Amino acid sequence: MKLDLILRVTTKVIIPFILLFALYVHFHGDFGPGGGFQAGVIAAGMLILYAIIFGVEAAQRVVPRAVVHVMVPLGVLIYAMTGLAAFYFGENFLNYAPLAHDPKHGHHLGVILVESGVITTVAGTMVSIFYAFLERGR
Amino acid sequence: MELYVNLLLLTLMAATVIAIIQQSSLFSVVILSGIYSFLMASVLIVLDAVDVAMTEASVGAGISTVVLLGALHLTRTTALKSHQRVFLGLFVSVAVGTMLMWGVLGLPEFGVADAPVHTHVAPTYLLESIPETGIPNVVTTVLADYRGFDTFGETTVVFTAGIGVLLLLGGRRRRGRGAGAKDAPK
Amino acid sequence: MNGLIDPEILDIVVTGLSWFAISAGSFFVLVGTIGLIRMPDVFTRMHAASLVDTLGAGLLIAGMMLQAGFTATSLKLLFIFLLLFITSPVATHAVAQATLEAGDLPELKVDRRDRARTAGDAVETPEA
Repeated sequence: MKLDLILRVTTKVIIPFILLFALYVHFHGDFGPGGGFQAGVIAAGMLILYAIIFGVEAAQRVVPRAVVHVMVPLGVLIYAMTGLAAFYFGENFLNYAPLAHDPKHGHHLGVILVESGVITTVAGTMVSIFYAFLERGR
Repeated sequence: MELYVNLLLLTLMAATVIAIIQQSSLFSVVILSGIYSFLMASVLIVLDAVDVAMTEASVGAGISTVVLLGALHLTRTTALKSHQRVFLGLFVSVAVGTMLMWGVLGLPEFGVADAPVHTHVAPTYLLESIPETGIPNVVTTVLADYRGFDTFGETTVVFTAGIGVLLLLGGRRRRGRGAGAKDAPK
Repeated sequence: MNGLIDPEILDIVVTGLSWFAISAGSFFVLVGTIGLIRMPDVFTRMHAASLVDTLGAGLLIAGMMLQAGFTATSLKLLFIFLLLFITSPVATHAVAQATLEAGDLPELKVDRRDRARTAGDAVETPEA
Protein backbone atom coordinates (compact mmCIF):
# COMPACT_ATOMS: atom_id res chain seq x y z
CA MET A 1 0.00 0.00 0.00
CA LYS A 2 1.57 3.23 -1.12
CA LEU A 3 1.16 5.52 1.80
CA ASP A 4 0.79 9.24 1.84
CA LEU A 5 3.60 11.63 1.02
CA ILE A 6 3.46 13.36 4.39
CA LEU A 7 3.88 10.13 6.33
CA ARG A 8 6.77 8.96 4.19
CA VAL A 9 8.66 12.23 4.33
CA THR A 10 8.17 12.67 8.07
CA THR A 11 9.28 9.11 8.73
CA LYS A 12 12.41 9.65 6.67
CA VAL A 13 13.13 12.84 8.59
CA ILE A 14 12.58 11.38 12.01
CA ILE A 15 14.18 7.92 11.76
CA PRO A 16 17.82 9.09 12.08
CA PHE A 17 16.91 10.99 15.22
CA ILE A 18 15.29 7.93 16.75
CA LEU A 19 18.44 5.92 16.09
CA LEU A 20 20.57 8.71 17.50
CA PHE A 21 18.42 8.83 20.59
CA ALA A 22 18.69 5.08 21.04
CA LEU A 23 22.48 5.28 20.89
CA TYR A 24 22.44 8.26 23.24
CA VAL A 25 20.35 6.39 25.79
CA HIS A 26 22.67 3.40 25.47
CA PHE A 27 25.98 5.20 25.86
CA HIS A 28 24.76 7.67 28.46
CA GLY A 29 23.40 4.90 30.61
CA ASP A 30 26.42 5.52 32.80
CA PHE A 31 25.56 9.11 33.50
CA GLY A 32 21.81 9.27 33.39
CA PRO A 33 18.83 6.99 33.10
CA GLY A 34 19.20 4.51 30.32
CA GLY A 35 21.07 1.39 29.52
CA GLY A 36 20.77 -1.54 27.22
CA PHE A 37 17.09 -2.49 27.57
CA GLN A 38 15.63 0.91 26.82
CA ALA A 39 18.03 1.53 23.96
CA GLY A 40 17.28 -1.82 22.37
CA VAL A 41 13.55 -1.19 22.52
CA ILE A 42 13.91 2.30 21.01
CA ALA A 43 16.11 1.00 18.18
CA ALA A 44 13.61 -1.78 17.48
CA GLY A 45 10.83 0.82 17.48
CA MET A 46 12.67 2.73 14.78
CA LEU A 47 12.85 -0.31 12.54
CA ILE A 48 9.23 -1.19 13.22
CA LEU A 49 8.19 2.34 12.20
CA TYR A 50 10.13 1.92 8.96
CA ALA A 51 8.45 -1.44 8.34
CA ILE A 52 4.98 -0.01 9.00
CA ILE A 53 5.36 2.97 6.68
CA PHE A 54 7.44 1.52 3.84
CA GLY A 55 6.49 -2.15 3.95
CA VAL A 56 8.15 -5.29 5.24
CA GLU A 57 10.16 -5.89 2.04
CA ALA A 58 11.83 -2.50 2.29
CA ALA A 59 12.60 -3.05 5.97
CA GLN A 60 14.01 -6.48 5.20
CA ARG A 61 16.27 -4.97 2.56
CA VAL A 62 17.71 -2.73 5.25
CA VAL A 63 17.93 -5.33 8.03
CA PRO A 64 17.45 -8.84 6.64
CA ARG A 65 15.82 -11.61 8.61
CA ALA A 66 19.07 -13.53 8.79
CA VAL A 67 20.84 -10.61 10.47
CA VAL A 68 18.08 -10.20 13.01
CA HIS A 69 17.94 -13.93 13.71
CA VAL A 70 21.69 -13.86 14.36
CA MET A 71 21.44 -10.83 16.64
CA VAL A 72 19.19 -12.61 19.10
CA PRO A 73 21.73 -15.12 20.44
CA LEU A 74 24.72 -12.92 19.65
CA GLY A 75 23.98 -10.61 22.56
CA VAL A 76 23.82 -13.47 25.04
CA LEU A 77 27.07 -14.77 23.58
CA ILE A 78 28.78 -11.39 24.09
CA TYR A 79 27.56 -11.32 27.66
CA ALA A 80 28.77 -14.85 28.38
CA MET A 81 32.13 -14.22 26.74
CA THR A 82 32.64 -11.14 28.91
CA GLY A 83 31.97 -13.30 31.91
CA LEU A 84 34.24 -16.08 30.73
CA ALA A 85 37.04 -13.64 29.94
CA ALA A 86 37.60 -13.36 33.65
CA PHE A 87 38.40 -17.08 33.79
CA TYR A 88 41.38 -16.36 31.56
CA PHE A 89 42.80 -14.11 34.27
CA GLY A 90 42.03 -16.49 37.11
CA GLU A 91 39.08 -14.60 38.60
CA ASN A 92 35.42 -15.46 39.13
CA PHE A 93 32.77 -15.44 36.44
CA LEU A 94 31.69 -11.88 35.47
CA ASN A 95 34.43 -10.25 37.50
CA TYR A 96 35.31 -7.20 35.44
CA ALA A 97 38.36 -6.09 37.39
CA PRO A 98 41.09 -7.88 35.40
CA LEU A 99 39.77 -6.83 31.98
CA ALA A 100 41.96 -3.73 31.70
CA HIS A 101 45.17 -2.36 33.17
CA ASP A 102 43.35 -0.88 36.16
CA PRO A 103 40.33 -2.31 38.09
CA LYS A 104 38.33 0.90 37.62
CA HIS A 105 38.83 0.84 33.84
CA GLY A 106 38.18 -2.86 33.91
CA HIS A 107 34.79 -2.31 35.52
CA HIS A 108 33.96 0.40 33.00
CA LEU A 109 34.95 -1.79 30.06
CA GLY A 110 33.00 -4.70 31.44
CA VAL A 111 29.84 -2.63 31.83
CA ILE A 112 30.15 -1.31 28.26
CA LEU A 113 30.61 -4.80 26.81
CA VAL A 114 27.76 -6.25 28.79
CA GLU A 115 25.36 -3.44 27.84
CA SER A 116 26.23 -3.89 24.17
CA GLY A 117 25.26 -7.53 24.50
CA VAL A 118 21.97 -6.54 26.09
CA ILE A 119 21.08 -4.01 23.38
CA THR A 120 21.83 -6.52 20.63
CA THR A 121 19.63 -9.22 22.09
CA VAL A 122 16.74 -6.91 22.96
CA ALA A 123 16.67 -5.11 19.58
CA GLY A 124 17.02 -8.38 17.70
CA THR A 125 14.23 -10.05 19.65
CA MET A 126 11.75 -7.20 19.20
CA VAL A 127 12.40 -6.86 15.48
CA SER A 128 12.30 -10.61 14.83
CA ILE A 129 9.02 -10.95 16.75
CA PHE A 130 7.58 -8.14 14.61
CA TYR A 131 8.82 -9.74 11.39
CA ALA A 132 7.34 -13.08 12.44
CA PHE A 133 3.96 -11.47 13.10
CA LEU A 134 3.94 -9.62 9.80
CA GLU A 135 4.97 -12.61 7.74
CA ARG A 136 2.39 -14.79 9.36
CA GLY A 137 -0.44 -12.52 8.46
CA ARG A 138 -0.07 -12.50 4.73
CA MET B 1 2.23 16.79 47.62
CA GLU B 2 3.66 13.53 46.36
CA LEU B 3 0.85 11.73 48.08
CA TYR B 4 -1.81 13.60 46.12
CA VAL B 5 -0.04 13.09 42.81
CA ASN B 6 0.32 9.40 43.59
CA LEU B 7 -3.33 9.14 44.59
CA LEU B 8 -4.42 10.84 41.38
CA LEU B 9 -2.27 8.62 39.19
CA LEU B 10 -3.37 5.45 40.97
CA THR B 11 -7.03 6.47 40.65
CA LEU B 12 -6.51 6.99 36.93
CA MET B 13 -4.89 3.56 36.72
CA ALA B 14 -7.84 1.97 38.49
CA ALA B 15 -10.23 3.75 36.11
CA THR B 16 -8.22 2.50 33.14
CA VAL B 17 -8.35 -1.07 34.44
CA ILE B 18 -12.11 -0.87 34.93
CA ALA B 19 -12.42 0.45 31.37
CA ILE B 20 -10.27 -2.44 30.10
CA ILE B 21 -12.52 -4.98 31.79
CA GLN B 22 -15.67 -3.40 30.40
CA GLN B 23 -14.49 -3.17 26.80
CA SER B 24 -15.33 -5.77 24.26
CA SER B 25 -13.36 -4.18 21.44
CA LEU B 26 -9.84 -5.55 21.72
CA PHE B 27 -8.38 -2.61 19.86
CA SER B 28 -9.53 -0.28 22.63
CA VAL B 29 -8.13 -2.72 25.18
CA VAL B 30 -4.70 -2.53 23.56
CA ILE B 31 -4.71 1.27 23.53
CA LEU B 32 -5.93 1.36 27.13
CA SER B 33 -3.11 -0.92 28.24
CA GLY B 34 -0.71 1.50 26.60
CA ILE B 35 -2.30 4.25 28.68
CA TYR B 36 -1.93 2.06 31.76
CA SER B 37 1.77 1.65 31.06
CA PHE B 38 2.18 5.41 30.71
CA LEU B 39 0.47 6.00 34.05
CA MET B 40 2.67 3.34 35.64
CA ALA B 41 5.73 5.10 34.23
CA SER B 42 4.51 8.37 35.76
CA VAL B 43 4.05 6.70 39.15
CA LEU B 44 7.59 5.36 38.89
CA ILE B 45 8.92 8.83 38.13
CA VAL B 46 7.15 10.21 41.19
CA LEU B 47 8.86 7.45 43.19
CA ASP B 48 12.25 8.61 41.80
CA ALA B 49 12.96 5.47 39.79
CA VAL B 50 13.68 7.04 36.40
CA ASP B 51 15.50 4.08 34.82
CA VAL B 52 12.59 1.76 35.52
CA ALA B 53 10.14 4.45 34.34
CA MET B 54 11.95 4.77 31.02
CA THR B 55 11.95 1.00 30.54
CA GLU B 56 8.26 0.76 31.47
CA ALA B 57 7.32 3.59 29.10
CA SER B 58 9.31 2.30 26.15
CA VAL B 59 8.43 -1.38 26.55
CA GLY B 60 4.90 -1.18 27.90
CA ALA B 61 3.61 1.75 25.91
CA GLY B 62 5.76 1.37 22.83
CA ILE B 63 6.70 -2.13 21.80
CA SER B 64 3.94 -3.92 23.68
CA THR B 65 1.21 -1.91 21.94
CA VAL B 66 2.70 -2.58 18.51
CA VAL B 67 3.15 -6.32 19.12
CA LEU B 68 -0.37 -6.65 20.55
CA LEU B 69 -1.78 -4.83 17.51
CA GLY B 70 0.15 -7.24 15.33
CA ALA B 71 -1.41 -10.13 17.24
CA LEU B 72 -4.85 -8.56 16.75
CA HIS B 73 -4.13 -8.42 13.05
CA LEU B 74 -3.64 -12.18 13.09
CA THR B 75 -6.72 -12.98 15.16
CA ARG B 76 -10.03 -11.33 15.83
CA THR B 77 -10.63 -7.81 17.07
CA THR B 78 -13.62 -8.30 19.33
CA ALA B 79 -13.58 -10.29 22.52
CA LEU B 80 -15.60 -13.46 22.72
CA LYS B 81 -18.18 -13.64 25.45
CA SER B 82 -17.00 -15.99 28.16
CA HIS B 83 -19.41 -18.63 29.35
CA GLN B 84 -17.81 -19.24 32.72
CA ARG B 85 -19.33 -18.44 36.06
CA VAL B 86 -17.96 -15.27 37.45
CA PHE B 87 -18.30 -16.00 41.17
CA LEU B 88 -15.40 -18.41 41.59
CA GLY B 89 -12.99 -16.05 39.88
CA LEU B 90 -14.32 -13.12 41.87
CA PHE B 91 -13.92 -14.97 45.16
CA VAL B 92 -10.36 -16.04 44.38
CA SER B 93 -9.37 -12.53 43.29
CA VAL B 94 -10.87 -10.90 46.38
CA ALA B 95 -9.25 -13.47 48.68
CA VAL B 96 -5.80 -13.13 47.13
CA GLY B 97 -6.09 -9.34 47.03
CA THR B 98 -7.04 -9.20 50.69
CA MET B 99 -4.14 -11.45 51.68
CA LEU B 100 -1.75 -9.29 49.67
CA MET B 101 -3.00 -6.09 51.25
CA TRP B 102 -2.74 -7.64 54.71
CA GLY B 103 0.81 -8.68 53.88
CA VAL B 104 1.71 -5.20 52.63
CA LEU B 105 0.54 -3.75 55.94
CA GLY B 106 3.29 -5.76 57.62
CA LEU B 107 6.07 -4.25 55.54
CA PRO B 108 8.16 -1.37 56.92
CA GLU B 109 7.29 2.11 55.72
CA PHE B 110 8.48 3.28 52.36
CA GLY B 111 11.90 4.88 52.50
CA VAL B 112 12.70 4.30 56.17
CA ALA B 113 16.45 4.15 56.59
CA ASP B 114 16.71 1.08 58.81
CA ALA B 115 14.41 -1.21 56.87
CA PRO B 116 16.13 -4.52 56.06
CA VAL B 117 16.19 -3.77 52.32
CA HIS B 118 18.24 -0.65 52.95
CA THR B 119 20.75 -2.13 55.41
CA HIS B 120 21.81 -5.39 53.81
CA VAL B 121 23.94 -4.74 50.73
CA ALA B 122 22.47 -1.44 49.50
CA PRO B 123 24.80 0.78 51.59
CA THR B 124 27.80 -1.15 50.22
CA TYR B 125 26.61 -0.57 46.66
CA LEU B 126 25.92 3.08 47.23
CA LEU B 127 29.21 3.77 49.00
CA GLU B 128 31.49 1.58 46.90
CA SER B 129 30.05 2.32 43.48
CA ILE B 130 31.98 5.45 42.58
CA PRO B 131 35.33 4.54 44.17
CA GLU B 132 35.33 1.08 42.64
CA THR B 133 33.85 1.69 39.21
CA GLY B 134 33.82 5.41 38.61
CA ILE B 135 30.38 5.28 36.99
CA PRO B 136 28.02 7.96 38.31
CA ASN B 137 24.77 6.05 37.74
CA VAL B 138 24.40 3.58 40.61
CA VAL B 139 21.50 1.83 38.91
CA THR B 140 23.69 0.87 35.98
CA THR B 141 26.48 -0.37 38.21
CA VAL B 142 24.09 -2.44 40.30
CA LEU B 143 22.42 -3.78 37.16
CA ALA B 144 25.50 -4.54 35.10
CA ASP B 145 28.27 -4.94 37.64
CA TYR B 146 27.22 -5.94 41.14
CA ARG B 147 24.20 -7.92 39.95
CA GLY B 148 25.55 -8.79 36.53
CA PHE B 149 24.54 -12.39 36.87
CA ASP B 150 20.87 -11.44 37.26
CA THR B 151 21.06 -9.27 34.16
CA PHE B 152 22.59 -12.24 32.37
CA GLY B 153 19.50 -14.21 33.37
CA GLU B 154 17.26 -11.38 32.12
CA THR B 155 19.00 -11.30 28.77
CA THR B 156 18.62 -15.06 28.51
CA VAL B 157 14.91 -14.68 29.28
CA VAL B 158 14.51 -12.16 26.43
CA PHE B 159 16.45 -14.51 24.18
CA THR B 160 14.23 -17.44 25.15
CA ALA B 161 11.09 -15.40 24.53
CA GLY B 162 12.34 -14.43 21.08
CA ILE B 163 13.26 -18.01 20.22
CA GLY B 164 9.88 -19.21 21.47
CA VAL B 165 7.95 -16.74 19.35
CA LEU B 166 10.08 -17.54 16.31
CA LEU B 167 9.48 -21.25 16.76
CA LEU B 168 5.74 -20.72 17.06
CA LEU B 169 5.25 -18.20 14.32
CA GLY B 170 8.13 -18.05 11.94
CA GLY B 171 8.56 -21.67 11.07
CA ARG B 172 6.46 -21.76 7.94
CA ARG B 173 8.41 -20.55 4.98
CA ARG B 174 6.20 -18.83 2.49
CA ARG B 175 6.05 -21.31 -0.32
CA GLY B 176 3.22 -19.42 -1.92
CA ARG B 177 1.19 -16.66 -0.46
CA GLY B 178 -1.67 -17.94 1.59
CA ALA B 179 -1.00 -21.64 1.17
CA GLY B 180 0.89 -22.35 4.35
CA ALA B 181 0.50 -19.04 6.10
CA LYS B 182 -3.23 -18.96 6.55
CA ASP B 183 -3.55 -22.08 8.71
CA ALA B 184 -4.82 -21.28 12.16
CA PRO B 185 -2.20 -21.78 14.85
CA LYS B 186 -3.03 -24.51 17.32
CA MET C 1 23.94 45.84 30.02
CA ASN C 2 24.31 43.89 33.20
CA GLY C 3 24.20 46.98 35.35
CA LEU C 4 20.94 48.22 33.82
CA ILE C 5 18.69 45.24 34.62
CA ASP C 6 18.19 44.50 38.27
CA PRO C 7 18.71 40.72 38.60
CA GLU C 8 15.91 40.35 41.15
CA ILE C 9 13.37 42.02 38.92
CA LEU C 10 14.53 39.89 36.00
CA ASP C 11 14.07 36.83 38.19
CA ILE C 12 10.56 37.88 39.15
CA VAL C 13 9.62 38.63 35.54
CA VAL C 14 10.95 35.30 34.28
CA THR C 15 9.22 33.36 37.06
CA GLY C 16 5.95 35.23 36.41
CA LEU C 17 6.17 34.54 32.69
CA SER C 18 6.83 30.88 33.31
CA TRP C 19 3.82 30.65 35.66
CA PHE C 20 1.67 32.30 33.02
CA ALA C 21 2.96 29.98 30.31
CA ILE C 22 2.43 26.85 32.39
CA SER C 23 -1.10 27.86 33.39
CA ALA C 24 -1.99 28.80 29.83
CA GLY C 25 -0.60 25.47 28.64
CA SER C 26 -2.62 23.60 31.25
CA PHE C 27 -5.73 25.54 30.23
CA PHE C 28 -5.29 24.55 26.61
CA VAL C 29 -4.70 20.92 27.58
CA LEU C 30 -7.94 21.02 29.58
CA VAL C 31 -9.85 22.63 26.71
CA GLY C 32 -8.48 20.09 24.26
CA THR C 33 -9.45 17.19 26.51
CA ILE C 34 -12.97 18.51 27.08
CA GLY C 35 -13.30 18.93 23.32
CA LEU C 36 -12.07 15.37 22.82
CA ILE C 37 -14.86 14.05 25.02
CA ARG C 38 -17.66 16.34 23.94
CA MET C 39 -17.21 16.52 20.20
CA PRO C 40 -19.63 14.46 18.13
CA ASP C 41 -17.45 13.04 15.40
CA VAL C 42 -14.02 11.47 14.91
CA PHE C 43 -12.70 14.32 12.82
CA THR C 44 -13.80 17.09 15.14
CA ARG C 45 -12.38 15.15 18.08
CA MET C 46 -9.03 14.90 16.34
CA HIS C 47 -9.16 18.59 15.68
CA ALA C 48 -9.68 19.23 19.39
CA ALA C 49 -7.01 16.75 20.42
CA SER C 50 -4.41 18.32 18.17
CA LEU C 51 -4.67 21.39 20.34
CA VAL C 52 -3.16 19.45 23.25
CA ASP C 53 0.02 18.43 21.53
CA THR C 54 0.90 21.67 19.80
CA LEU C 55 -0.37 24.64 21.78
CA GLY C 56 -0.68 22.93 25.16
CA ALA C 57 2.66 21.17 25.05
CA GLY C 58 4.33 24.21 23.49
CA LEU C 59 3.27 26.57 26.25
CA LEU C 60 4.05 24.05 28.98
CA ILE C 61 7.51 23.46 27.57
CA ALA C 62 8.09 27.20 27.13
CA GLY C 63 7.22 27.70 30.79
CA MET C 64 9.57 24.91 31.81
CA MET C 65 12.32 26.34 29.63
CA LEU C 66 11.94 29.69 31.35
CA GLN C 67 12.24 27.95 34.69
CA ALA C 68 15.29 25.96 33.64
CA GLY C 69 17.17 28.97 32.39
CA PHE C 70 19.98 28.87 29.89
CA THR C 71 21.26 25.33 30.43
CA ALA C 72 21.40 22.03 28.57
CA THR C 73 18.01 21.13 30.05
CA SER C 74 16.39 23.90 27.99
CA LEU C 75 17.94 22.48 24.84
CA LYS C 76 16.58 19.02 25.64
CA LEU C 77 13.15 20.52 26.31
CA LEU C 78 13.32 22.32 22.96
CA PHE C 79 14.09 19.05 21.20
CA ILE C 80 11.17 17.35 22.93
CA PHE C 81 8.89 20.15 21.79
CA LEU C 82 10.16 19.89 18.21
CA LEU C 83 9.54 16.15 18.24
CA LEU C 84 5.98 16.61 19.52
CA PHE C 85 5.36 19.45 17.09
CA ILE C 86 6.48 17.43 14.09
CA THR C 87 5.05 14.02 14.89
CA SER C 88 1.67 14.74 16.41
CA PRO C 89 0.11 16.55 13.42
CA VAL C 90 1.45 13.78 11.21
CA ALA C 91 -0.16 11.23 13.51
CA THR C 92 -3.45 13.14 13.34
CA HIS C 93 -3.15 13.13 9.56
CA ALA C 94 -2.51 9.38 9.55
CA VAL C 95 -5.55 8.73 11.75
CA ALA C 96 -7.71 10.91 9.50
CA GLN C 97 -6.48 9.07 6.39
CA ALA C 98 -7.16 5.71 8.01
CA THR C 99 -10.65 6.80 9.05
CA LEU C 100 -11.47 8.00 5.55
CA GLU C 101 -10.09 4.79 4.11
CA ALA C 102 -12.30 2.77 6.46
CA GLY C 103 -15.26 4.56 4.94
CA ASP C 104 -16.23 6.82 7.81
CA LEU C 105 -17.07 10.16 6.28
CA PRO C 106 -17.37 13.28 8.44
CA GLU C 107 -20.90 14.24 9.38
CA LEU C 108 -21.55 17.75 8.27
CA LYS C 109 -24.62 19.80 9.03
CA VAL C 110 -24.80 21.50 5.66
CA ASP C 111 -22.34 20.72 3.00
CA ARG C 112 -21.82 21.34 -0.64
CA ARG C 113 -23.71 18.19 -1.57
CA ASP C 114 -26.95 19.42 0.03
CA ARG C 115 -26.61 22.86 -1.46
CA ALA C 116 -25.88 21.36 -4.87
CA ARG C 117 -28.86 19.03 -4.51
CA THR C 118 -31.25 21.85 -3.68
CA ALA C 119 -29.84 23.92 -6.51
CA GLY C 120 -30.37 21.01 -8.89
CA ASP C 121 -26.71 20.43 -9.85
CA ALA C 122 -25.02 17.08 -10.01
CA VAL C 123 -23.90 15.72 -6.65
CA GLU C 124 -20.14 15.23 -6.43
CA THR C 125 -18.95 12.23 -4.51
CA PRO C 126 -15.98 12.95 -2.28
CA GLU C 127 -12.80 11.10 -3.10
CA ALA C 128 -11.77 8.78 -0.38
